[in-house]
Amino acid sequence: MTRFWTIKFLRTILTLWFVVTFAFVVLRTSGDPVVALIGADALPAEIEQFRRQWGLDQPLFVQYLRYVGQMALGEFGTSLRDQRPVIDIIMERLPATLALGLVAYGAALVIGIPAGIAAALRRGRTLDRAIMAFAVFGFALPNFFLGILLILFFSLFLQILPSSGSGTLAHLVMPAITLGTFTAGTLARFTRSAMLEVLDRPYMRAAAAKGVPAWKRVLFHALPNAAIPIVTVIGLNLGQLIAGAIVVETVFGWPGIGRLLVQAVSSRDLAVVQALVLVIAATMVLANLLVDLLYGLLDPRIRGGAR
Amino acid sequence: MITRRTFGKYSIGVGALAFPGYARPLRAQGERPTLTVAVDNLWANIAPINGISTTTRRFFPNFYSHLVERDYISDEQGIELKPGLATEWSRDGKVWTLKLREGVKFHNGETMTAEDVAFTLGPERLWGEEPFEPRGKTFTAGFVRVEAVDDLTVEIETAEEDPFIPGKLTGYIGFVVPKAYYLEVGVDAFGQAPVGTGPYSVATFRSGEVLELEAFDEYWDGPPPAARVVWRIVPEFAGRMAGLVSGEFDFMVNIPTDQEPQLESYDGVTVARALASNYPAFAFNTRADPENNPLVDVNLRKGMVQAIDMHAIVQALFGDKTFHPDVPFNFPEYGDYYRPDMENPLPYDPEAAREKIAASGYDGQVLDWHITRQFYPNYEAAAEIMVEMWRQVGVNVRAEILDNFELVYTRPYHMMNMSMSTDFIPGDPYQPLWLDWGPTSSRATAQWKTWDPTPEYLAAGREFEAAITFEERQAAFEKLRQAWLDVYPGYYLWKSVYNWAHRADIEWIARPDGEMRMFGDYLTLPA
Repeated sequence: MTRFWTIKFLRTILTLWFVVTFAFVVLRTSGDPVVALIGADALPAEIEQFRRQWGLDQPLFVQYLRYVGQMALGEFGTSLRDQRPVIDIIMERLPATLALGLVAYGAALVIGIPAGIAAALRRGRTLDRAIMAFAVFGFALPNFFLGILLILFFSLFLQILPSSGSGTLAHLVMPAITLGTFTAGTLARFTRSAMLEVLDRPYMRAAAAKGVPAWKRVLFHALPNAAIPIVTVIGLNLGQLIAGAIVVETVFGWPGIGRLLVQAVSSRDLAVVQALVLVIAATMVLANLLVDLLYGLLDPRIRGGAR
Repeated sequence: MITRRTFGKYSIGVGALAFPGYARPLRAQGERPTLTVAVDNLWANIAPINGISTTTRRFFPNFYSHLVERDYISDEQGIELKPGLATEWSRDGKVWTLKLREGVKFHNGETMTAEDVAFTLGPERLWGEEPFEPRGKTFTAGFVRVEAVDDLTVEIETAEEDPFIPGKLTGYIGFVVPKAYYLEVGVDAFGQAPVGTGPYSVATFRSGEVLELEAFDEYWDGPPPAARVVWRIVPEFAGRMAGLVSGEFDFMVNIPTDQEPQLESYDGVTVARALASNYPAFAFNTRADPENNPLVDVNLRKGMVQAIDMHAIVQALFGDKTFHPDVPFNFPEYGDYYRPDMENPLPYDPEAAREKIAASGYDGQVLDWHITRQFYPNYEAAAEIMVEMWRQVGVNVRAEILDNFELVYTRPYHMMNMSMSTDFIPGDPYQPLWLDWGPTSSRATAQWKTWDPTPEYLAAGREFEAAITFEERQAAFEKLRQAWLDVYPGYYLWKSVYNWAHRADIEWIARPDGEMRMFGDYLTLPA
């Protein structure tokens, strides 16, 4: 078991190192940070001073080593763009993204899974068709488009919700709907097909024959057996949630890390991008780890340690 | 029938039920309001020079004050200067003497002295070896000494006689900073929590989100009309529009030209415009880099200029909201230097264009035009039409729309987009003809440079720099412009238009420099 966890841990470190290196290479080869940061019309002398100040005059390899060294020590460095510690900038933005993500994700779970179960139980009927139509709508509609539609409807016509920003519960409604719709739609579809697969199994018929009430059969016999694919989708969708946040935060002016990432990339603010990439990668790795653990809880065969 | 408008009315009732907490606070009689401005962007750093940008220019004068002001209220072109933090200025040879306003307070309670002004304009901050705000060098060329003579007197000495110092002080370098606080916190921290002498002080600044200003009642020109001014980033145009129409915002910036009628159709919304002191343009790459660059031949460049019917393009894209300057550097904002009747040496004439292009020996090779995506309104649309006009006369241009300026600056290219301001010295043709094209400009020195100034241009430029009287300067300017026109290294498209929208019951005067002044004669709030 120790060996299993050691390998998992090393693999995680390796993944994060790959991610960080990849971000460094892509950013440095796609544009000069100095031009992006101090403007197109800066004179050569000004550019030189800036380069020296930030160590950008060093060979790329030296910059890379220094950078990875700092990362290993847990130092995220200083933002080139506003000269503040990167960790401060991220901590300032992280709560907003977490709040939005949790609400959107919570709503997606609460709506998506029951909707999927209901659709499976009413397979082929009107309810099933209606739910699946909404699900397709949910994951087929691009985030930015849905967001703008909501703004036009709720802010411009109805005038009941603020068009952007954060601060009150009312500000959270539209971004959360926009962000959660995709996940809810996906979850409903996966839950439906996973449930359909187990509803016809012999143990379900056996339970029915024993006289177990319908709600107990669904909740205690079918759902745990259908849970593995659902949990997998939940884990994978966490990535979608972060990717979606980039778009949703831009559309709604939500002050989270998604928009920070967009701003940092466009100004080649390497330190911020790297730190954010690391945060996002770590989140993904953690989510996958949690999914692995949940598999163990859900399925005794996996828990048995066959791996 | 429920129409769009009545639908809105009904739904407001529904909304009041749904979110009782979300309603604009009612204002008690006589109490000053909070104004909210929806902007597309703020800036990472809001120190006066390190923070130079179109987006910062909007709000800077609300918390920094200039030494010298441009008077746009009595003169549309703003050529007249009037006192700001400096009340008088006079020149004796190479030395300018500024008299400062008495009793001006900084937001931190300190009183402004000549020491602060000398530091603001001095080598330590702007033009020394390793200055705090290195871009200051561009705006302080020729400065050799800045000194506080007594509490309210400052002297500026320049290497050559420079009659234009007061005009230059209307720009970013004229925003006065408090020396002690600036040195105590350092330039980077200052850029996050700046202190100035303007009518509002900075209460909160989060660069990616919001800038909140608070009334500063000790402002030298009297208390400002609003209690707070909040500049909030709303990246999406639909969000800015929805918020303005619903009353959530009082002002918004940056309206796509084709969306103006939509906004104007709403009750309670006014669209404001101003012709900016700025011209989008393109540069011809006149150098043999790439080696086989056919644009090194001036005939091809002039032929291409004569193939463009720019008046028709401007009319199609902007209507009457702006214009195309027929002759480069003959701009109306140049006051006495402007000649409305000047003849265009290269008018639209496809026949003449074909002749010149044939004379150049151009063989039909593709010319790459690097353009920054969505940077100048309508630029891409105009480029598309120009490419077609050039095709008509046998020139093959490929407009490459690129994501950012780094890509635009990446060689090889034959043409590139740019824009140039005209307001560094109010009413004077110094910029862009000499400042932005001259021998020290990035256009002539950077890795991506597009031309090498000709000997004639350099000689005329030196004469222009040394000229003191209007007559001398005008003569030198005409010579300098002719030297530029002889080689035609670029082309000016139209005068930029800034636009804004605001609540219709607010009276507000827009300025061509893009400043959004929430005080003084520029803003009148409803009683």
